[in-house]
Amino acid sequence: MKRYAYYLSCINESMTKEVDKSIDLWQEDLGIDFVKLHESTCCGGSNLDYVSPKHFALVNGRNIALAEKLGLDLVTSCNTCLLTIRSAKKKLDESGALRDEVNGILKKEGLEYKGTSEVRHLLWVLDEDIGFETIGKKIKVPLTNYKIAPFYGCHILRPSAILGKDNPVEPTSLDKLIETLGGKVVPYEHKNKCCGFHTLLVAEEESLNVAAEALGEAIETNADFIVTPCPLCHTVLDSYQAKALKQANIKKSIPVFHLSEMVGLALGYTPRQLGIKRHIVT
Amino acid sequence: MAEHKEEMRDVTFRINRFNPHVDNRSYFDDYTIPVERGITVLRALNYIKEHVDATISFRAFCQAGICGSCGMRINGISKLACTTQVWDELERCKVANVIKVEPLRNMPLIKDLIVDMDPMVDKMKKYSNWVESIMPEEKMGEKEFLISEEEFLEYDKATDCILCASCMSECSILRAHKEYVGPAILLKSYRMNVDSRDGAHDMRIAELVKDHGVWDCTHCYRCQEACVKSIPIMDGIHGVREDAMVSRGAKDTSGAKHAEAFMEDIPKKGKLIEATLPIRTNGIGWTLKNLLPMAFKMILKRRTPPPPPLVKPAKGIKKFREEFQEMTDHVRRDREDHKNKSGE
Repeated sequence: MKRYAYYLSCINESMTKEVDKSIDLWQEDLGIDFVKLHESTCCGGSNLDYVSPKHFALVNGRNIALAEKLGLDLVTSCNTCLLTIRSAKKKLDESGALRDEVNGILKKEGLEYKGTSEVRHLLWVLDEDIGFETIGKKIKVPLTNYKIAPFYGCHILRPSAILGKDNPVEPTSLDKLIETLGGKVVPYEHKNKCCGFHTLLVAEEESLNVAAEALGEAIETNADFIVTPCPLCHTVLDSYQAKALKQANIKKSIPVFHLSEMVGLALGYTPRQLGIKRHIVT
Repeated sequence: MAEHKEEMRDVTFRINRFNPHVDNRSYFDDYTIPVERGITVLRALNYIKEHVDATISFRAFCQAGICGSCGMRINGISKLACTTQVWDELERCKVANVIKVEPLRNMPLIKDLIVDMDPMVDKMKKYSNWVESIMPEEKMGEKEFLISEEEFLEYDKATDCILCASCMSECSILRAHKEYVGPAILLKSYRMNVDSRDGAHDMRIAELVKDHGVWDCTHCYRCQEACVKSIPIMDGIHGVREDAMVSRGAKDTSGAKHAEAFMEDIPKKGKLIEATLPIRTNGIGWTLKNLLPMAFKMILKRRTPPPPPLVKPAKGIKKFREEFQEMTDHVRRDREDHKNKSGE
């Protein structure tokens, strides 16, 4: 059994509960034990870093320190949490003064940021630690006959200086997972582009244009569904899909699955068990 | 014995063609030419223009990655033709041995690979992206401006920009709305705003926080990833945002209010209180008009975020709040120190 500290993302605790629900179903099947960090707090969602760089370092230094206390790597299933916490880690690792300041506060809670735990995405753990070959051997319901459009999302790819796993121009990890599970990857230009989530409440028209372009291209390829490793991308592409496609005057629609649901389907769990019925587009 | 290496091969360049006097829309022409290892895409284009088809139009000048003239999309990515090796691109071809060359996006096409840079220049003017000297004109020449190394390091990387517009071409929001300010302009604004010789900071920030300004960036990092000078452009954009919040507060800008919500919620519950986020960002009227129809569907699917009282606080929130407050005290102290220092 491989153990990890599992970071609780705000959105997975509220709007996209099906992500953690599906992971809970299959983690044991793949020999994973995710220890949920109930003490962890919001990473700042790619906003706190400029609102208050020091609070950003404190909050995420603490999130990582909670994992370090358990001697485990920190794993998240949200792209933006991944980038945000990794950005903070980079800042803390590069500045002794910032680390000392943060640790001076954290010591009251018996915590210390040392820099010993890695911050990783669920997709990376499946690829690097469990291995797609091993996952392939556990498949009960191969996704044969499904044409799947991978949508990576920005914050698992860019900036590559902080993420550095997939080539942001030609990412492959999600493609390989889809193929492992028996699905057929549909090539399309938007697989490594943006969903528009981070300006949904600030520049809605622009955000929905961004989303509609990605959705429209995936629809044109005749894919059966889109799959994404990010619950924020899922929210735009699923919950806001009707609005985005209406704005772009596109008549068809396309279901959008979370990475965790796609794995669950191949491991033999039903859409109901996985929470797929909670999606807006079904 | 040395391994045999292919040093010469025929490569096809699939080049975007458009002549506004003749064509209604762009099309591609293929040119297959012999290319030696070590040749750049720009040299290949020059070869085609000299030996195969003189009608192909593109901009180029320095051939050394300095002037920024030859920005174009090569195999789908915006970059400089003069610093891009043909051999490197051969590994990235969608169709084997065919390199696709297209004009930059998000700017009006003039001909073949040439785009109109005027909209970018106009935006540079709109946001006053030059040093507006704090020294009165009559005093000029009497005294030198001394820039500390510490200050210079703040905008050192930003001054590397050669205005090639690769970032503008990759920008997700500029593609969605042509009036959006765009990454190159935001980077330049950042660079001017942190310059102690400049006196236009407040005016520039007031313009940048308006519609189609700094808050419309969606943090996709495509600009930064494409930058031919490896400038951390997002640090500049976030720098402008941080500056805007410190110098003028959240006030009337929805982007700033949205960002501030994270700062409010984290010490309260340790989590973002998503249910009230649209109201806090845009007010009740906007929320009812824009999100109510969607909210019904979401309620039916039990997808709505819980109302604030039902958001379960993170475990150990009391201790966390104390820590958060302590950091707030640190920040306040830092600002006072900074104020005293600059007042000296």
